[in-house]
Amino acid sequence: MIRKKVLFLILTLLFFIIPLTVLLLQSISAPWRFHTGQGIDWGWQEYSTLFQNPQLWEATFISIGIGFAVLFINVAIGLFTGKALTPYAYRGKAWLEALLLSPILIPSLAIAMGLHLFMIRVGLADTIWGVMLIHLVPTVPYSIKIFHNSYQQIGKAMMEQPHILGAGFWTQVFTVELPLLRPAIRSVTFLTIVISLSQYAITAIIGGGRVLTLPLVFFPFLNNANTSIMAAFSIWFALIPVFMYIIIEALMMFLPYSRLPWRNHR
Amino acid sequence: MTQTKLEMKNITKTFNHDKILNELTFHLEKGEIMSIVGPSGSGKTTLLRILAGLEKPTDGEIIMNGRDITKQKANRRSISLVFQQPLLFPHMTVKENIVYGAKVSKNYKEEKIESLLEAIGMARFRDHYPSEISGGQQQRTALARAMATEPEVILFDEPFSSLDPSLRQDLRYWVRDFLASRETTAVFVTHDMEEAMIMGDQIAVFEDGNFQQIGTAETLHKSPANMRVATFLGGHLILNDHEFAPLHAVRVGTQKTSKNEVSFHATVEHITYQHGRPVAHLYVNNLEKKISIPIDETFPTREVQVTIPAGSIQTFSGEIL
Repeated sequence: MIRKKVLFLILTLLFFIIPLTVLLLQSISAPWRFHTGQGIDWGWQEYSTLFQNPQLWEATFISIGIGFAVLFINVAIGLFTGKALTPYAYRGKAWLEALLLSPILIPSLAIAMGLHLFMIRVGLADTIWGVMLIHLVPTVPYSIKIFHNSYQQIGKAMMEQPHILGAGFWTQVFTVELPLLRPAIRSVTFLTIVISLSQYAITAIIGGGRVLTLPLVFFPFLNNANTSIMAAFSIWFALIPVFMYIIIEALMMFLPYSRLPWRNHR
Repeated sequence: MTQTKLEMKNITKTFNHDKILNELTFHLEKGEIMSIVGPSGSGKTTLLRILAGLEKPTDGEIIMNGRDITKQKANRRSISLVFQQPLLFPHMTVKENIVYGAKVSKNYKEEKIESLLEAIGMARFRDHYPSEISGGQQQRTALARAMATEPEVILFDEPFSSLDPSLRQDLRYWVRDFLASRETTAVFVTHDMEEAMIMGDQIAVFEDGNFQQIGTAETLHKSPANMRVATFLGGHLILNDHEFAPLHAVRVGTQKTSKNEVSFHATVEHITYQHGRPVAHLYVNNLEKKISIPIDETFPTREVQVTIPAGSIQTFSGEIL
């Protein structure tokens, strides 16, 4: 028991807390080089450089907007597809599952380039809607897989029970399925937001540079080799999924039969 | 006056060319409890699932209160099904589970929930989550949840089979009284003959996709319809396709006695004790049948004679009802 605790502590320190602390410290100090004889220069100038960028807030909001849209579409598609895949074994089911996973087997860049022509034709190129759609390509397969597994874990019988008692389709989704799928929703939230937030190439292709997301603002900074600004930007970048996750977690508390902190007296 | 509550007419169900149910027909009066017994894998559960609306019959119709409900969905039928596992919703407390049943069927009344909680003896545990109560308590809660929907018919699919024997015994009587006090029509599926006799007014022996016989425990034992029924009951020595002898007429001894008897050579495989009496488990060599029969004394040898007075040999009635 104690050995496990120590191991856990060492691993978290090594791979999480120390790197994060270094990143934090780096973001509030000027770049420091070994053997230059200079001390560490603390300050907030990196953040002020960051916030001086006129596009930062716009890109942040657009990224968050796209992230939420992609998340909600993912939950809707993943939930119902995962549910539809669950009950029966039928011929060709394995093929169907493979087909649904295929978008992550083909490089999304190839898909984006192919879809670009189509998007131009239907007028979705260079729009935020087009970018949302293209962000579904690398995320939806994961969501389907996650929801499918969760539905399987809940089991067919548990899904039949509310139906037998007299619950309609939507009542069942909101009172039984969504509350039991909470862990799946959490995984999908983090996964889709992080994937959506880190798409550079396909956003640039479909958005045509007009849909400004954080990676698009972030990329030019890579050239200036100022590690402190990069650190500040990384922290800003990392805070967004955390912030969005907290919002989703708060929303989930409104699901029926949630164990709200002020409700659970025992 | 009795009225027909539920009726099944010529229900057939096939799965990939396998006939699970074959032209099944029966009816239930209001307040009647019927036990369906049969070996596992005989299609009893499929029968219940069709009644509940979870599966569609390939052919035939289901009539409730004189109305055809064959095409009605499970959530619109006034039929509840209690599964083998309690299947309580893990994110709801005991009380919330029961309230859920009442609310989705639009039959919610606070007093009713209270009386149900009292009836199942779970009032003290109302705020517990399913993971915090025992298996028997969970099954009782599941039953209360099913009752809260105020179904006209309630179906049970071996609801006690996952419980330990002493608890099972208590719960059987409890459920029976509970159903009787509310005059609920019920179908009770089990593979245990004893349970079937305790739970049902009528017992239906189900095998090979159809009822082999429907009747009271007494009728079934006194005049089994055919070999399958007798084999399932285990209270008879089956001589051939048409004839049998009730076990109470069968004598076990070391040698043949008089002439006016049929006798067979048998081997004692084991002696066990049931209800305080020794029971011999015999293998009747000529008939290739195993029987278990209470005996008065143990035998010096393993080889014995089984004798049947000629007068007690009967023929199968062949009548289903």
